[in-house]
Amino acid sequence: MVQQANHPLPAAFQLDEYCIEHQLSLGGFSIVYVATDSQGKRVAIKEYLPNTLALRGEGRTAPVIAEDHLPAFRYGMKCFFEEGRALAGLSHPNVIRVLNFFRANDTVYMVMEYEHGRTLQELIQKNRAGVTENFIRNVFTKMLNGLREVHSHRLLHLDLKPSNIYMRNNHVPVLIDFGAARQTLACDTPMLKPMYTPGFASPEHYNQRELLGPWSDIYSVGASMYACISGSTPQAADSRLEKDRLAPAMVRWEGQYSDQLLETIDWCLCLNHRYRPQSVFALQKALTEPVVAPSPPPPKENWLDQVVGKLKRSRNS
Amino acid sequence: MKFTIYQESRTGRRANNEDRLAHCYSRDSLLMVVADGMGGHYYGEVAAQIAVQTLTEAFQREVKTRIRDPFLFLQTGMLNGHRGILDFAGKHHLLDSPRTTCVACIIQNNIAYWAHSGDSRLYLMRKGRVLAQTKDHSRVRLLVEQGVITEDQVHDHPDRNKIYGCLGGQQTPEIEFSRKMTLEAEDVLVLCTDGVWSGLPGEMLAATLKTANLMRAVPVLLGQAETRGGPHADNLSMIAVRWQDTYVDESSGGSSLISTKSMARDTVTTRMTGFGHHGGHKTELSDEEIELAIEEIRSTIQKYSK
Repeated sequence: MVQQANHPLPAAFQLDEYCIEHQLSLGGFSIVYVATDSQGKRVAIKEYLPNTLALRGEGRTAPVIAEDHLPAFRYGMKCFFEEGRALAGLSHPNVIRVLNFFRANDTVYMVMEYEHGRTLQELIQKNRAGVTENFIRNVFTKMLNGLREVHSHRLLHLDLKPSNIYMRNNHVPVLIDFGAARQTLACDTPMLKPMYTPGFASPEHYNQRELLGPWSDIYSVGASMYACISGSTPQAADSRLEKDRLAPAMVRWEGQYSDQLLETIDWCLCLNHRYRPQSVFALQKALTEPVVAPSPPPPKENWLDQVVGKLKRSRNS
Repeated sequence: MKFTIYQESRTGRRANNEDRLAHCYSRDSLLMVVADGMGGHYYGEVAAQIAVQTLTEAFQREVKTRIRDPFLFLQTGMLNGHRGILDFAGKHHLLDSPRTTCVACIIQNNIAYWAHSGDSRLYLMRKGRVLAQTKDHSRVRLLVEQGVITEDQVHDHPDRNKIYGCLGGQQTPEIEFSRKMTLEAEDVLVLCTDGVWSGLPGEMLAATLKTANLMRAVPVLLGQAETRGGPHADNLSMIAVRWQDTYVDESSGGSSLISTKSMARDTVTTRMTGFGHHGGHKTELSDEEIELAIEEIRSTIQKYSK
């Protein structure tokens, strides 16, 4: 069945103290608008509107929610609140700021700063040649400052990917879309459907959610760096667990980027969560270390070859 | 080690799921635990969680591919769980400490070792028959043994819920140990709570699980037990494992077959149910709760904006 799309609120619609300009994006769970506040400042407004549960017809304001969908609709609201809670307590230049939260039209809205720019996803698609070693190191080191702040609040982002990293026009990255973010270490975690993006989600995302930790976001960072270079989504972790066909960055791009960067990417992408960098700090350290000059070519016969050679010779004799 | 394993827990028709279950394995050792927090005791599910967690954490800590002394491990683990529950009760000034049953099993070197306290059961099944099972620490079980009542009278006996072995009680728990049981390929072990066995006779479990795919059969069995439980069906939990340590065709087990051969020496894989991970939850959000959530978010925004 083809899912019907929800109709956005029309331009110039007065929503609380905001005036809608136009729709920015439409997702399965929400619609994001550009709007202006009472002072004429631009903001982004995210409207909770899961299209499987609530439908808004053309020209309507409130969505139509079937009687038997109401519990699920209300339940999904919890996820939306979770995102609001996660963001409200964070104040960091590399994390999107929440400005307001309100209820209207039988649903709920989250008002966020509006940023001029585009997502990292769009940026790398439009400018493949721009993905240089420096670009990656710059973007990700700064983005990781934001992620560090997130982790220090005992939160996990859990849906990091290039399309959730927003690049301001001054090339400062901002983490957006905390729809999957969860408070960790809370015993009474509400039962929420796991949300993740195949290719960027860690192996723990799939079936061992009790193992989720900073290292899970770090896997997604590794996958995002890998995707920036390759220009496509890496193999999903669950299928890697069955048969790993993801060529290590070190194998795929040796010589085009520093060994150190490629090794760091492979380090983040370890399937076993214990082998990855355990904290954002550890990863940042690896990304900011000065690049060591490529090591001189190894001597023609290293000790291993010598041993192998000897064995071969002794067998032949 | 090669085996297929499946675990599932259901709330039945109760308000809460007070059952907890977990299994974890290293390259050469498998641990399974089932605990049934006692109804009527307010913190039953906490007790069950503490018991399961104490054992799994000890396993993760102590396993060096194998557990040195499985029986000693089970005894220490269950006693530590018991003390953990008492500590919890003390810390929260509970008048009565919460209680839980516990059955735990370790398999390594093709040998199964198990221990239990209370009326959660373990069945060892071979060729569609029950080869061994735990003896419930319950009043009705004693009455049957003394010949006072018959097996048939057990199900509606007024004392059927009275059990004397449990973790978290006033006395040091009674823990009963199995013999060392050598497993054969295709043997099935089932650990379950009374919500399951009271509705399904052991022989029926054994016959059903003889060759069936566990991932399909266990949910069906739980469904049957739940139906038989009627409008007051108890929590139902079950772990079933099929042992396949001899040569098996990889394709026959499909992707559900777990082979630990390629695991690193010191890694442990764990599956555990926890708080809030089971169905039958209250999902409705009231208007007041929505207003409250919004208010909370707004005040946080206020606090952090300069």
